[in-house]
Amino acid sequence: MSEASSAIIEAGPARTARGAALDRIFEALCFSAATLLLAALGGIIVALAIGGWPAFAKFGFHFFTTATWDPVAEVYGALGAIVGTLVSSTLALLFALPLALGVAVFLVELCPNVLRRPIGTAVELLAGIPSIVYGMWGLFVFAPWFSKYIQMPAMMAAPVGSIWETLTAGVPNGAGILSASAILAIMILPFMAATLRELLLTVPSQVRESAYGLGSTTFEVMRKVSLPYVRTGAIGAVMLGLGRALGETMAVTFIIGNAHGLPTSIFASGSTIASTIANEFAEATGEMHTASLIALGLVLFVITFAVLALARLLIGRQAHA
Amino acid sequence: MIAAPRRFGRTLGNAVFLVFCWAATGVALIALAAILWSLLRQGIGGLDLKVFTMSTPAPGSEGGLLNAILGSIMMCTLAMIGAVIMGVLAGTWLSEYARNSRYGSVVRFLNDVLLSAPSILVGLFVYEIIVAPTKGFSGYAGAVALALLAVPVITRTTEDVLRLQPVALREASVALGAPVWRTILAVIWKAAQGGMLTGALLAFARISGETAPLLFTSLNNQFLNLNMSQPMANLPVVIFQFALSAYDDWRRLAWTGAMLIAVSVLAVTIIARLLAREPRRS
Amino acid sequence: MTLTAEAPETSVLTLPQDRVKIEIRGLNFFYGKKQALHDVTAGFARNAVTAMIGPSGCGKSTLLRTINRIYSLYPGQQAEGQVLIDGENVLEPRVNLASLRARVGMVFQKPTPFPMSIFDNVAYGLRLYEHLPKSELQGRVEEALQRAALWGEVKDKLKESGFSLSGGQQQRLCVARAIAVRPEILLLDEPASALDPISTARLEETISELKADYTIVIVTHNMGQAARLSDQTAFMYLGQMVEFGNTEQVFTNPVTTRARDYITGRFG
Repeated sequence: MSEASSAIIEAGPARTARGAALDRIFEALCFSAATLLLAALGGIIVALAIGGWPAFAKFGFHFFTTATWDPVAEVYGALGAIVGTLVSSTLALLFALPLALGVAVFLVELCPNVLRRPIGTAVELLAGIPSIVYGMWGLFVFAPWFSKYIQMPAMMAAPVGSIWETLTAGVPNGAGILSASAILAIMILPFMAATLRELLLTVPSQVRESAYGLGSTTFEVMRKVSLPYVRTGAIGAVMLGLGRALGETMAVTFIIGNAHGLPTSIFASGSTIASTIANEFAEATGEMHTASLIALGLVLFVITFAVLALARLLIGRQAHA
Repeated sequence: MIAAPRRFGRTLGNAVFLVFCWAATGVALIALAAILWSLLRQGIGGLDLKVFTMSTPAPGSEGGLLNAILGSIMMCTLAMIGAVIMGVLAGTWLSEYARNSRYGSVVRFLNDVLLSAPSILVGLFVYEIIVAPTKGFSGYAGAVALALLAVPVITRTTEDVLRLQPVALREASVALGAPVWRTILAVIWKAAQGGMLTGALLAFARISGETAPLLFTSLNNQFLNLNMSQPMANLPVVIFQFALSAYDDWRRLAWTGAMLIAVSVLAVTIIARLLAREPRRS
Repeated sequence: MTLTAEAPETSVLTLPQDRVKIEIRGLNFFYGKKQALHDVTAGFARNAVTAMIGPSGCGKSTLLRTINRIYSLYPGQQAEGQVLIDGENVLEPRVNLASLRARVGMVFQKPTPFPMSIFDNVAYGLRLYEHLPKSELQGRVEEALQRAALWGEVKDKLKESGFSLSGGQQQRLCVARAIAVRPEILLLDEPASALDPISTARLEETISELKADYTIVIVTHNMGQAARLSDQTAFMYLGQMVEFGNTEQVFTNPVTTRARDYITGRFG
């Protein structure tokens, strides 16, 4: 500070000079925290790339096109896991989306006021249940039920020698890709329902009221007014659900059967990238095995990142955790 | 006058739709009830004092979940301390210093992506940077992995709640001559503390149930171990191990453990939501 | 009201130099590329109340916010020209903002009590600048609350949160907070717009009493309030200082056409 004689341009009480220095320190701290966050994300990609490099180097493009996963012969192909991941997540989405929409519409339009909060909370609680609990419940409660009421009847009803028989072949123990998809569906249902509900709440009431005023039914208002209004966000919600399903580990590992290779029926066992890593990493036999698992991780990261980034672009900041 | 068949079609379609919506909600509620019911039914049976006083047993012998419970608490607490410090500072930066900057939008965007990223990959990352170089699984590695999962949640909720504070509040403090850091600490953070607490609770609920990231970082430990530089027992991995085993007593413990985790996560979630709904005094 | 053949575009009264506390000379202000103030010139009297009136968006709040440089918080906002307080230009970069703001207090449109006790609210500014012994601190807080006509209502509940007060009381708390540091100038940005009529009346009383010791500039949408409270009035329009003069003259005999139209309610 200059030693001008003016009243305003003075050194000021000592505290303000210190205040200015602390200002800079505080801002630097906050900035570092934010940048560290960024670095962590970058670090994940780099670590996965480096760790998985040996596998990519050895197998090249075939890594993505081979379904063989043989630790003994040291041949690793990601196709089985990738297909398992995509199939289970897509099926989960197909099951969960209509249900999520139904729940969202219910909460917004149909629910009696007094029940709104408890039911809304119940849906949130469903979202909060840890995935390992879903896994256990899936294996010990859902699987037997599934086997008894869905798998067996389906297998018995399939005419011998038909395509249905192939499609429903497998051991009816309740595990498999379809079961895993069902559990995944229940897991992602609450997130999508919550996001869709918030989106529907953004439709201005005048717009809805005009539609109702013209004599539309609830179904028509939803179909022709509300949903088109939030179309972009709704697609984003779908992608968000997909993103979560892709990365889900514990719920799937318990019930997917953990077989490598391509599934040939809907009741067959399979594996996802996450379940493969979870099952094999701790006891990986040798460097190539470890590297292949990490390479799988990188593949999952890329797929998930793309889906989540797209979801974020579509929904903006309403994306829920 | 709308033709009768058309009107009937519309009414029928609407009725089907409404029934479907009710049914969908029913499915969700039934699923929740079924899960909670199973947990209670299977888990309460194994709930006794031993669970809290003895460590995990070998198959066939007596034991409990003490080491796992303690390990989880220790790792989650350490993770939360780190995550709160980093998340609050990052969220503050996004709200107070970077509302309109391009770099800020990038950080914001990537934070939201990290929020939903597969937790197993975070585990792999921490394995690569901590476990592999130090050639050992440890409670610290587990805590780091959990912290990385909690930070995006806290960053996001902190930024959201700070943004809600009126601009005039900041200006009033600055107009009195307060430096920016003081304005944030003494006024803005204080005004937002309820929301920040909710965010921390939600983050805690999330990480206390995470299994995958601990699989390759803290691993597991059969015995009671409070040394965080060694592998540490934790509830989720113990449940994973015991549930998939062939032993009845292990499975029983797994159910009890699952019940404990679910109950505590749900309790924390409910408390967090209740806190969030408390009316703002103004 | 008589109008000569050619009414001037603008009319700015020049007060004798020794009576002027705040002098604005050729002030231009920009929000990014958009210019909000055009070559504003006026001198506000010390120990008097100057009201700033004009339609929404005319620049009165913008002008107010240059006096304590609060706009400096926002990178896109720029001021050119001079804002002189006792002859020193506060727009110069080397001005110590904290010291400036110790001399210039501000009260905002919506009451903004800090999330702390009533006592801590008023003491906030004092604790920034001075290491006062406890008894002296208490004395200053009481003094500020007395001058803001709030002491009687809160003296038994100083530890309670600022939010426990009514809207009108909260605003007087903000006034107390601002005057606790004994500034020379008080800037009030539509302070009564969020208050009911009774609270407004009390606030206006308080402002009238304060002018003996402070130079007060008040932005207001309420012309009656301007007429009641102020000694001089500034009428602004589209970023220009259109008319500035003694309140009585401006309201009963405005010189410029635009001021006359606004005051008689033809627009605004």
